Order: sequence, then C-alpha cells, then structure tokens
Amino acid sequence: MLSIENLTVFVDTKTILKGLNLNVPAGEVHAIMGPNGAGKSTLGYTLAGRPNYEVAQGAVDFNGEDLLEMEVHERAAAGLYLSFQYPLEIPGVPALTFIRTALNAQRKLRGEDEMSAPEFLKTTRELAKTLKIDMDMLKRPLNVGFSGGEKKRMEVLQMALLKPKFLILDETDSGLDIDALKVVSDGVNALRAPDRGMLVITHYQRLLDHIKPDRIHILVDGKIVHSGGPELALELEAHGYDRYLGEAA
Amino acid sequence: MAFDLTPLDLFDPSSYPTRRNEEWKYSDLARVLREVPSRAVLTHLQAATGDFGGFYWHCAGDGQLGDLQAAVAKANGRLYLDLSDVGAEGVVAGYQGEGRITLGVGEHLILLEDYSGALDYAANTTLHFELAKGASLTRVVILDEPEGAVSVRRSTVKTAPGSAFKQYVFSTGAKFQRFETHVEHAGHGAHVEMHGAYLLKDTAHFDYTTRVNHAEIDGTTEQLIKGLVKDRATAVFQGRIYVEKGADGTDARMRHQALMLNDGAHVRAKPELEIYADDVQCAHGNTIGALDEAALFFCQSRGMPEDTARAMLMQAFVVPVAEQIEDEALREMVLNWIEDKAGGFYAL
Repeated sequence: MLSIENLTVFVDTKTILKGLNLNVPAGEVHAIMGPNGAGKSTLGYTLAGRPNYEVAQGAVDFNGEDLLEMEVHERAAAGLYLSFQYPLEIPGVPALTFIRTALNAQRKLRGEDEMSAPEFLKTTRELAKTLKIDMDMLKRPLNVGFSGGEKKRMEVLQMALLKPKFLILDETDSGLDIDALKVVSDGVNALRAPDRGMLVITHYQRLLDHIKPDRIHILVDGKIVHSGGPELALELEAHGYDRYLGEAA
Repeated sequence: MAFDLTPLDLFDPSSYPTRRNEEWKYSDLARVLREVPSRAVLTHLQAATGDFGGFYWHCAGDGQLGDLQAAVAKANGRLYLDLSDVGAEGVVAGYQGEGRITLGVGEHLILLEDYSGALDYAANTTLHFELAKGASLTRVVILDEPEGAVSVRRSTVKTAPGSAFKQYVFSTGAKFQRFETHVEHAGHGAHVEMHGAYLLKDTAHFDYTTRVNHAEIDGTTEQLIKGLVKDRATAVFQGRIYVEKGADGTDARMRHQALMLNDGAHVRAKPELEIYADDVQCAHGNTIGALDEAALFFCQSRGMPEDTARAMLMQAFVVPVAEQIEDEALREMVLNWIEDKAGGFYAL
C-alpha cells in the first residue's frame, strides 16, 4: 500500500531523512518510534507534501502511484491523511465548514458528487456523538480555543468523515489525558480495516497499548535501524533507545 | 468641542488637501483630482423607493442628502440609504452634499448605507449624526464603488450619555476613497464601536480615518479593523483616540490587522492614543503580516486545492468584523458580500 524506498529529505540545508526504507501493506498498523530529532515528524510532513521538505532522492509508491509527484491536496484526495501533532487553529472558519469544504474538494477531484448539506450534517452528528464532540463545538472556528484533547478528537472526526485509505498519526497521544487517549484510540481503532493502512508515529509505548501495531520500526538519525513485532515497544520502554543509537552511527 | 474636518470643496481646487497636510499624508487628493470635476446631476442606479429586504429604501444619489430625517421617520427603525450613482467615463462629473440624522431619546436606527455605482465620478458627502440619551445607531456601510471613483465620505457623530453608536464599514476601495468618522464621545455609559474590513486589489486606495474624542467620564470605545491588500493596492488606517483631562473611567481599544498578499501592496497604519486623563484603560494593536503558510498547508493536507484554501483563509481573516453585527439579516447580507468579494482574491 505504502512503500518508501531510500528516501532522503532535507529541510533548509540539513539532511533529516537519510535513505529511509519502509513498507506498510494494506490492513496493517505500523508504528515508528524513535528519539527526539530522529526525523519522525519529517517523515509525516514529507509524505503529506509540506513545502520546504525537499526530497533529494528516493521514491514513494502509494497504491501504485508516485506519491512524490502529487500536489498536497491530490495526496489527500488519493487517500492519505496526516494527523498533525499540533493541529492548527483556523480562526474565522467553523469546524463544520472546514470539514465539508475539505470533503467536497476531495470528492470533486475524485470525480464524485458532493455530499449534500443534510447528509453531511447527519453523518457528522452521529460520528461526533461517538467521539463525545458537542455539535456546538463544531460551529466554532476550527481548533480555536480547543483543548489538546478536543483538537485530537476533532482530528479523529475528520479521519472518520474523510475516510482516507492511509493514516499517518503524528504523536497523536501528545497533550492527551488518559480519558481523552481512550476516546481518541477507540476512534482510530474503529477505522482499522483490511483495505486501510496506518503509520503511528510516537515517542512512547503508552499509545501502542491502545492502538496495537502489527510492526514496530525504530527510527534513529533518519534511518530505520531496527524492525520487529509489538514486543519491541516493551523492550524500548524498559531499555530506551541507547542500544540503537550506536547502530545508526 | 467642534469637529475638526478639513475644509473641502470639490469645485474649488485650492481647497484640496495635499500630502503636506499631516491628516492627508497618505491620501493625496490634490494629486488624484488633477482636473476639477464639473457640477453634475448623476443617474441613480435605482431611482426608486420602497422596500429593500425589510429596510425602508431611500435613494439619495448626487449628494441629495437634505431630507434624511423624513426618511428616518418613515423607516420604522430600518433605513436603507442608497447612494449608488452612475458616473461617466473619466472623473469629469462630481457632486457634493450634506445630510443630517437626529435620533431622539431612546430611539433606535439600523442604517444600511450603500455606496456602489458605475463608471467614474468624484463625490464629497458628509453625514451628521446626533444621538440623544439612550439612543442607538447601528451603521453598516458598504463602499463598493467603481474603481475609477474618487470619493471622500465623511461623518460626524455626537453621542449622549447612555447612547450607543456602532459602525461597520466594508470597502473594496476605489481610485481614491476616504472614509472619515469623527465622534464626540459623551461618556456616562455611552458606547462607541467603529469597525471595518477592506478587500483591496489592483490599484485600489482606501483610507479609513477615525477620530474619537472622550470628553467625559465612563465612555467606552471598541475598534477592530481588518483587511486584505494585494497587487498594488493601498490601505490607510488612521485611528485616533483622544482622552481629555478628567475623562476618567474611559475604556478604549483599537486593533488593526492587515494581510499583505504580495510585494507591492501597501498598508499605512497610524494608530494614535492621546491620553490626558489618569484613570483610563486604553490599548491599541497593529499587525501587518502575510497569510499563514502553516495554516495553508494544513488546509491543503485535508484536500483543499491551494486556491480554495487561500480564498477560505482570506475570507476567514475579515469575517470576524462582520460577525459582530448583531442584526442577523444584515450580518448575513454582509457575509455574502464578503464571500462574493473574496472570490476575486483566489489567484495570486
């Protein structure tokens, strides 16, 4: 589903990803763990197409298409969703308007009909209920004045409405208390499907107790230095990244 | 205290203010009006009176502003003042006029002023408002003038204790457009708001100049002005809040925020607070920046093409000004107008 080969990326003049290889098949959830500054967020931003994240070499195949050739919004319409570590505040744009604009823009690009306002409202209302999001909150400008937990729940609501094929969750657990973590994780787990892949980027094993990965990759200094099963998270929690820092050098 | 309006007669070029006048430093009328316009009667776009979306419709083109009080009497609290004119090619025809509206004790008026039109003209109009105790005036001004127009629109506002004056000005500029409001703040619970939003492109020029004089105790003033400027357009904001000695308990806040969408656009901002009283709360803030690239990427990453995302963010930038309008029908009308105008800002 998502296949990354020898990806080298620099930001400004600094090389952050240094020949990264990764393959996430459909239906699987993979986790990327690593110390600060390893390039975890850079990987997410590069896949989403953020300006100033320059790909020096490498290739990314997404469902048979060359992801790196696509514009940012085309990647979204093709089914890629990056959940931001710090979702941005969009003053002046009600959350409902934002989501509906995004949804219909994606549909238009895919040659599908727009979702009507009543259908959109009905679907949103049902999903918001399961995510414990008040409809009044959806009428407020997106993320403005929202708590960390509210912002992440809003991210999950967007995932559920946009129905992407592949999810990248960048530090989704940051800023969440235990209760919010559970709501958000339940929301993400509900999206697990045989035709959907996920890449979970995280510092801590905590999130992986809730969103159980099939594979874990350790990212150090711009490269995957080790991959393994779910048990790897526990080992990291106990011993830290130290033994892998040497491998990257 | 008398209002300090620069004397101006469209038909006497010696009266045209130049850059040497500090008040007109950024809006040089003498440079724009090289030829003296001829006195002209212009065609009204819609020479009719009647109902306009729940407002009493009064045409007052050509600066024929003399009978406004009679229109107010018929308006039942909602007056649509239609000042749309059709000019001619080139600024050859001009008009000027003055009008007066007085609101009695406890009277309320929602006034929608529409300055839109076609072709070119020069205009110099002045409106005088006087509010008695407890009266309220909500004034929504749509400055949708033709790009070739040269217009100076000025007003004076006298408030009384416990009265409320709320002004919302929306502009797309013109060849030269200056909107001046002078307020004598009566304090003693009187409340003044003077907001504005502008969307300027090409070579449009819009000057929003506001003067508030707090002469008495316990008066409040709030101002939020937001705008977008692209191409070679120029926005001028000159706001002055003057608090006289003894006008304690004054609470005055002024904010101006502009987005410059490309190099070559101009924003001249001059917020001024002049305070001679001791116990006051006054603040002003002025920011000029570019569109938030991080927010733009966030929108795009959710599937919006760049032009859609830009238009949405630009519109969102100025919308908060309109959202403060309490009257729902009027608010919707203005929001639709902004949406329509923001459409012209898609491409860069």
